[in-house]
Amino acid sequence: MASESVARLIEQLTKLPGIGKKSAERLAYHILRVHENEALGLADAIRDVKQNVCYCKTCFNLSEGETCAICGDATRDRQLLCVVEQPRDLIGLEETGAYKGLYHVLLGRIAPLEGIGPEQLTIDALVERVRAATVQGGGFREIIMATNPTVEGDGTALYISNLLADIPVQITRLARGITTGSVLEFANKEVLTDALSGRQKF
Amino acid sequence: MSLEKATAIVLRVVHWSESSYVLTLFTRELGKISAVAKGARRPKGPFDAALDLLALCKVVFVRKTSGALDVLTEAKLVRCFRVRALGLGALNAGYYVAELLNELTDEYDPHPVLFDVAEAALLRLGGAAASAVATAAGAIAPAAEVLRFELLALRELGYLPTLEECVECGRPVAADGRVAFGLLSGGVLCRDCRPGKRQVVSLSRQSWQTLVAFARPDEAWRQTPLSREVRGEVRGAMGQFIAGIIGHEPQVAAYLER
Ligand SMILES: [Zn+2]
Ligand SMILES: [Zn+2]
Repeated sequence: MASESVARLIEQLTKLPGIGKKSAERLAYHILRVHENEALGLADAIRDVKQNVCYCKTCFNLSEGETCAICGDATRDRQLLCVVEQPRDLIGLEETGAYKGLYHVLLGRIAPLEGIGPEQLTIDALVERVRAATVQGGGFREIIMATNPTVEGDGTALYISNLLADIPVQITRLARGITTGSVLEFANKEVLTDALSGRQKF
Repeated sequence: MSLEKATAIVLRVVHWSESSYVLTLFTRELGKISAVAKGARRPKGPFDAALDLLALCKVVFVRKTSGALDVLTEAKLVRCFRVRALGLGALNAGYYVAELLNELTDEYDPHPVLFDVAEAALLRLGGAAASAVATAAGAIAPAAEVLRFELLALRELGYLPTLEECVECGRPVAADGRVAFGLLSGGVLCRDCRPGKRQVVSLSRQSWQTLVAFARPDEAWRQTPLSREVRGEVRGAMGQFIAGIIGHEPQVAAYLER
């Protein structure tokens, strides 16, 4: 290996998800070759993201201040709350442009087999938030469970809706079933069952 | 390296990279396997929607030698686990079945009888018909499913504690009062054999009889009610007994109904 600094850079890059030793070496030699400004721009961006970005104290979205841009946006529907597992799920929903309510990011899902329990997520804060809004009037009219359509995601949504059972709010979950553009004939029987039970008015 | 086909229950799903999973599967034909499913997190691929926890699926995989992970090439969903059919109690019971299968079995050590028992339990806990069954007469409580599965699994794997007579001397245990269950001895103890034994759990007569009924191969367990007190005592004893086999308390045990 050429130098200790290069070795250290490769070692750090290898820790990134999906980056093996070969890729890390390629990236390291790329960084060595580019202009100093460009390379230091990357270093600064990493420093900024770690120093400036935190979780919104209301919804746990990524934020550059105490309150995120969505919670601070007065034009959004404040009676509609969408519960997601991760900030990247929120980004996906925002990109659709079809949702104008608020969010709550759980920062994970209940996964007993992985040793992740409800106390490690932001579930207490969510229940407190919904309860407080109800007490102060202006509570939520609907809470949309947008956890992943997996056993763990469904289990997390079920756990939360049990906790919210005594609060007068409608709880819904995202539709599931057949993929748009696919063919019924080849749809999996279990997926078809979901589509049938989740059918809606024409 | 060879191509294998099997029926499998998904025990663990670990996100491996942006697009791949590493799975732990319990197959009927070959026992437990660990396999990587490349591209499984992308919406379209050869894995259908099959690779979720507790799902029953048909899989095709390349068996690797020399300790490398097997490679899954195909998976078709036979039945998914429906979380809302019987509620959280049933879901946690399902997780517990997966944890025990994973902890109690070794890779490439098949136990088709155990597979069938697990599959039937998961069907009752989370099959599409489970919610219909739940409202019908004779519905099975998750706590009963858990105890039945634990005892059948222990029997199939050769760990079943001796319950009907003293594990040390073979004589009947006392017909009155509480019954001593020796965790290290591997079964119940009579009054003469009890003294000096370490790690002994005291069971009420009712809890002991419940264990006996649930451990029998016949269907006696279905007629045996699981009262709250019995459930708590039996959970404690089984938790400690299984911990003695796998070396730690099962993680999901804390989530089970007590
Ligand atoms: Zn926010
Ligand atoms: Zn004895």
